[in-house]
Parts: sequence; C-alpha cells; structure tokens
Amino acid sequence: MTRKDEIIVDKNSCGCPIDNLVDDKPSCKNKKTIINNDRLCDSRKSDMEFFVDPDPEKVSLDFYQNRFTDGLPIIPPTRERVNRFLNYTIHNPEDVLAILPPKMGQATPEKIAINSVMAGCLPSFQTVLEQAIIAVSVDKFNLEGVNATTHPVSICTIINGPLIDEIGMNASVGCLAPSNIANATIGRALRLCLINIAGAIPGVGDHATQGSPAKYSYCFGENEEENPWEPLHVERGFNLHESTVTVMAAESPHNVNDHRSQYAEDLLDTIIHTATTAGCNNSHVPGELLIIMSPEHARTIKQDGWSKKDVQNYIHENSHLSPILADRGGSKLDEKNIRDNQVQITRSPQDVVLVVAGGPGRHTMISHGFGGGSETVTMPITLKNCFNQKSVKNYK
Amino acid sequence: MRVKLTEKDFLNPLGEVENKKIDLNPLPYDFDQVSLINNTKPGTEIILKVLAESLGNREFLRVKKPAGTPASEREIKKTSSSDLAILALGDCGSCASWLVLDAIRLEKLGIPTISIFSDHFAPFARQLAESHGISDLRILEVEHPIAGLNNDRVEEKALKIVPNLLYILQIP
Repeated sequence: MTRKDEIIVDKNSCGCPIDNLVDDKPSCKNKKTIINNDRLCDSRKSDMEFFVDPDPEKVSLDFYQNRFTDGLPIIPPTRERVNRFLNYTIHNPEDVLAILPPKMGQATPEKIAINSVMAGCLPSFQTVLEQAIIAVSVDKFNLEGVNATTHPVSICTIINGPLIDEIGMNASVGCLAPSNIANATIGRALRLCLINIAGAIPGVGDHATQGSPAKYSYCFGENEEENPWEPLHVERGFNLHESTVTVMAAESPHNVNDHRSQYAEDLLDTIIHTATTAGCNNSHVPGELLIIMSPEHARTIKQDGWSKKDVQNYIHENSHLSPILADRGGSKLDEKNIRDNQVQITRSPQDVVLVVAGGPGRHTMISHGFGGGSETVTMPITLKNCFNQKSVKNYK
Repeated sequence: MRVKLTEKDFLNPLGEVENKKIDLNPLPYDFDQVSLINNTKPGTEIILKVLAESLGNREFLRVKKPAGTPASEREIKKTSSSDLAILALGDCGSCASWLVLDAIRLEKLGIPTISIFSDHFAPFARQLAESHGISDLRILEVEHPIAGLNNDRVEEKALKIVPNLLYILQIP
C-alpha cells in the first residue's frame, strides 16, 4: 500500500505545494529547493512514503520473545487485517464478551480478532471464535481449573450445523490431522486467546506438567452426513439447520482400532476397554468422555439396531474400574462413586459425548475429559437479538 | 526522489485487566472456632492435623471440598460461622486456583483466611489473588512436593511451617 506524504510543516519541512515546486516557485524560507533538477523540496524528509506490512519473521520473533505466541510463526495483526475480522462481529469491537481467568483478561471482539489474525484464521471465523470464548467462560466449564491445572487438558472445539460447510471445515478424512485451515486455526486462535487474554502461559498461568500437543489445536466438525444418529447439537436441543460450537475440556485423543467386530457389543467393548484406564481424571472424579466415532464404526452399531442412547447407556454402564486403581488421582475418590466395588468413569449416559467424524476406516478416537471438573458447553451462533443464524453470511 | 518505507503498526494481543481491590479481613486477636478446609489432596489431612495441634485447645470444624472445582455453597456456608478458616492444599494448578478462589469467597463473607500452598505453586497463587484484587491474601508455603510422600515426610514438612502460622496469628 502506498500513499503520498501528507504535508507536515516543521522546522525541517516546508510544506510547499507541489505546483509551486514544479514551477520553481517555492514558498518556504529555505529557497533551496531544486537539486539535480528533480524539482522537489530538499527540506522534506521524504517525497513518498510507502506503508508496508511488518516483516512476519521479525514480528513473530518479537511476539515470541514477549510470550505472545505458541512458538509457531504468526501473521502480524495490523489494523487493516483486524478490521476485516471485525466486519464479521455483531458486537462493538470494545464490548467485553467474557472475563478469562487466571489473569481475568477482558475478551473483546477486537482482542479475539487480533489473536485470530495471529493464528492465521480467515475473517469469517470471527463469530465462531467469539462464541467459543463465551462458551469457555461459562461457570460450569471451569476455565479457572482447566487453564491452571497440571493435567494435560486441552480444549476440544466441535462445530455443528451448516457452518461446517460454509467455513470449509473438515469433518471427514483427517479431520484431526494438520491440513485444514479452519480446523487448524480456530483451535490455534482459541489457544492464543487463552495465552494472551487469559494469561494461560505455560509455567505462569498454565501449569500442565507436560502440556499436550492438543493444546496447539483440537478442532473439527461433526460428519453429520455420515452420522446414522442425531448430531451433537440436535441431541442438545438445537435444530439440525442451526450452527453451534461446543467446547469440551479434553485430553489428547487416543485411538481405538477395531477392524473385526461385526456387532455393536463387540465393537463397544473395544472402545470401553480403551477408555477404562487408571490414571485419567475420570477414574477418580467421574465425568464426561468424548467418543469421536468413525462413520464405519457408527454404521456397524446402527445396523445392529442400536440408537445413540443405547450406545451411551452401554458405554456408561460398562466403563468402570476397581477402586484400588481408580483412587490414585489428585482428589480423593469419593466413596459415593463406588458401586458394586467398581468405579464408573462417567456419571450418567449423558456424560458420553458421542460424535461421528472422520473418513473411511475402522478407527474411533476417545478423549477423557477433565473428570467432573468441567462440563461441555454448546453455544448457538447467534445475533445480538438472539436469533440463531443458519449462515455465516448473515454476519457480512 | 527520497522514498521512506514505514512498517505498519500491529495491535497488542493482550487482554485488558480491570483494576479492583478487595480488602482482607483482619485476623482476630483471639478466636475459638477454626474451620479446617481440606481439598482432599494427598497429605492435606496430615498438614491440617499438625497445624490444628499447634493451635491448642480450640474448636475445629472440618470441611471437605473438591480440589479442582469450587466449594459448594453448603461447604462455604458451613465454614462461614468460624472465626478463622485454614485452607489446604494448593500443590497443583487447578487445586491452587480453587484454593485461592474459595479463600476469596470466604474473605468476601468476612471470614479471615490462611491458605497453604506448596512453595512451587505459591507464586501462582499470589498472582491469581492479585488478579482478583486481593494481593495480600495470607499464604503459607510448605515445601513441594507433598503428594507421593509417606506420612512421616509430610508431617516433617508441615511442622516446619508451624512457627510461621503462630507468627501470623501472633500466638507466642
């Protein structure tokens, strides 16, 4: 971008109109205006000023040294770029949408946009990020605990509804893999917001002993087309054609490889065996369990006549371990959670957060939650007057 | 022609913070009832037992709260009749968070508090308390780690902070 210098008159610059200079009639006191016939006033510091983008390498290093990043390079958040994101918000740029612990930083659309630019998001992701930030600030999500904990909990962000296609999310093959801009950068932007707005800097406000690669980004859309059951947002009371964002405090996903089971019970037993482990938070403080089921696994179970509720009931009822193994976590195991000398890792069938995502193949992923220390939050993408929006285009 | 290249400014990603201040309740000159709030972390029972013994013949109200989540309203209400509350133990991230935040809830109800953190997590606890406007929250530091130690080792570490507790409470 370039623009002609504005005339600034100080002791070193004359502010002579260009017509006077061209006509060799400078009006300034210097009278020394023409050098080598270039017909420009030599008292000006410059004749033309070019405004260029900051060097990304330099800004990235500067931001990194200030601990503003996740260690990866960032896009410099210039005013022009941030403004493009703010075209998609329904709020004023300075409205406080949430206060994020531990630093109790104010999350405004502008601060969210700045961090989203840095993460490499597209401007149309702004509303998703805003709703995700509002979602993690809901009391039952317990961001105070989730951000500060020594446990390697990340924030899994699940998108449902027409927005998946509109912003080009990947809900199919490789939806958890590095490739898709929405999956990669929405999760990353959320993490940068937590670092810069909430103060969740490792060793400062985030005390995870090792942390987790899922803290870079853990975001995907549900594969609603290949889901034989109702998708997550419909299960939670939203219309199929509404868009939502769900946040869940979750560990990195763990694979469940089952190529051989032909019946629902056999396949679910493999999932349960993988899920029922000592050492997860769910073992001593039962809570939510995320199941990211492959479409093929889901079809096998559905063909056996099982509903989504049947699956959730079966996983809840059969995912348990002995109290001796369960009671090794930070919080003391509450004896109320021991039933028939077993501890269930979920509190109810609703704790089994079941979504279908991914492409061909017989792999399901599971993520233990933050035990009973956090609850998932699903937020609709809404306008200020609370109408649920079916299209991100409404924000333009 | 002289051409000047100027890099565009970039915006600050940090969230603004509202300055607020919460007053700490003064410790009582004398007190009868002390709430001992146990977040069930390993070794906490022993630490609170050692501290209680150092306070002599007083009435102790024992309350258990979850470690990584807030105390329930019932647990807070149960504590609110005491002259003083001692909370333990903040020796990890989420439990340190909720020890600070529950101590602040009690301070807001007029109950003076003393909170026990491992020395590794005490700086975070102070920072968090400051974010909530209560930079002088009373914190006692016990040597990290506590979890994974046998009872004797925990007791040994707890005994080391007894003089500090008595000093804070002005008990000779």
